[in-house]
Amino acid sequence: MSNRYVEMGLRSPVNLTWEVSLACNLRCTHCLSSSGEPAHGELSTAEALDLVEQVHQAGVFQINFGGGEPFLRPDFEEILAACHGRGIMTCISTNGTLLNAERVARLATTRLVAIQVSMDGATAETCDAIRGKGVFHKAIQAIRLLAATSIPASINTVLTTQNASQIPAMYEMAHSLGVSLRVSRFRPSGRGADNWEELRPTPAQLIAFSDWLSKSGDVRTGDSFFSLTSQERQGLGLNLCGAAKLTCCVGPTGNMYPCAFLQTDRFKAGSLRDQSFQEIWDSSEIYDSFRSLRIHSCEECNRFDQCHGGCPAVAWHLKNDINGGDPECLERCVTSIADANKAAQAA
Amino acid sequence: MAAAGAGIRLHPACRVRQEGFGLLFYDSRGPRLLFAETGRLLPADFYGTVRERDELPEGLTDNQKGALQKFVNQLLEKGFLREQ
Repeated sequence: MSNRYVEMGLRSPVNLTWEVSLACNLRCTHCLSSSGEPAHGELSTAEALDLVEQVHQAGVFQINFGGGEPFLRPDFEEILAACHGRGIMTCISTNGTLLNAERVARLATTRLVAIQVSMDGATAETCDAIRGKGVFHKAIQAIRLLAATSIPASINTVLTTQNASQIPAMYEMAHSLGVSLRVSRFRPSGRGADNWEELRPTPAQLIAFSDWLSKSGDVRTGDSFFSLTSQERQGLGLNLCGAAKLTCCVGPTGNMYPCAFLQTDRFKAGSLRDQSFQEIWDSSEIYDSFRSLRIHSCEECNRFDQCHGGCPAVAWHLKNDINGGDPECLERCVTSIADANKAAQAA
Repeated sequence: MAAAGAGIRLHPACRVRQEGFGLLFYDSRGPRLLFAETGRLLPADFYGTVRERDELPEGLTDNQKGALQKFVNQLLEKGFLREQ
């Protein structure tokens, strides 16, 4: 992908992550937003529909819906219909527990929706330890319903130390169910921060995953793993953080942020209750700071062109330094293992 | 590649919009992006309707037509446009 055009500044995001509600019927231990109860003052239906129109006017190609569990919003299908009526593509990240045959049949009437069902292991034991008892089998049921339709569907897995060894099995499982596999990065925000040490993959697991990923071209990662991307996957996705350049995030109450993992006051770009979507995209100082972000500490690295310093959100959460470079990039994983080996030999 | 005389249009999985440098294409199947330095030569909605294979906007020079035709061929090869 050409960074030159991205750095020139786009007139609006390519896609938008919209966390439509904090409400969730699950309490996953890695949840990036600590979802559970709805947030106070979530956008009303009228405000949500107005946002859809603004996003359409801005020329945004796709909205990625998340939460919380989007289907807990009673008006969620109305919001989707407003998107599809304007030709906006949508992707829904759901836990799958609220998908039934009737709902899936309604969703299948449009060609503009894709659905990701979250699962965190190839076995009920592994998955349910993170997502809750019985969730694995409910998710499988949802995936079977989706696979029987024309809706592009995928299993979305957050890579953790518990499921790292099961990723190839999840790939096989996805294919046997007739859907694809998407793997997302575990980041230390929300409940994920509380459970970071328990769930974070080890450097060895990250390297093994990077190696596996290089041989698995049909596995999607979104913008999650560009800091680990091998040469074989260059060209398949991003080689830099897209926050405020290609994408941005709207939270449940209409606040805008660079990305879903930086939904804090420190990174609030503006409120849709005070300014329009386009005004915030064009004039937010926070967005400007992300567009001009240069991770100088990484510039000497031989992988700099492949990741440009990695994920600023992880750097922020772990080092309180947005300029600090991704602590879990491939280079640092390799160094970390080498240092550990040296220390072991010395001992 | 489209057969002679066949109509072409934007693939339903794709979108395109005008940017300062030209056109930005988006393919949701990847997803993937294509940045095209076309300036204002090709309107973003040009392939929103079926066009003849060699049909281009009015008022272009021969050089511009040649360059755009090559670009259209690339869009077909990459799947952003498809035969109708």
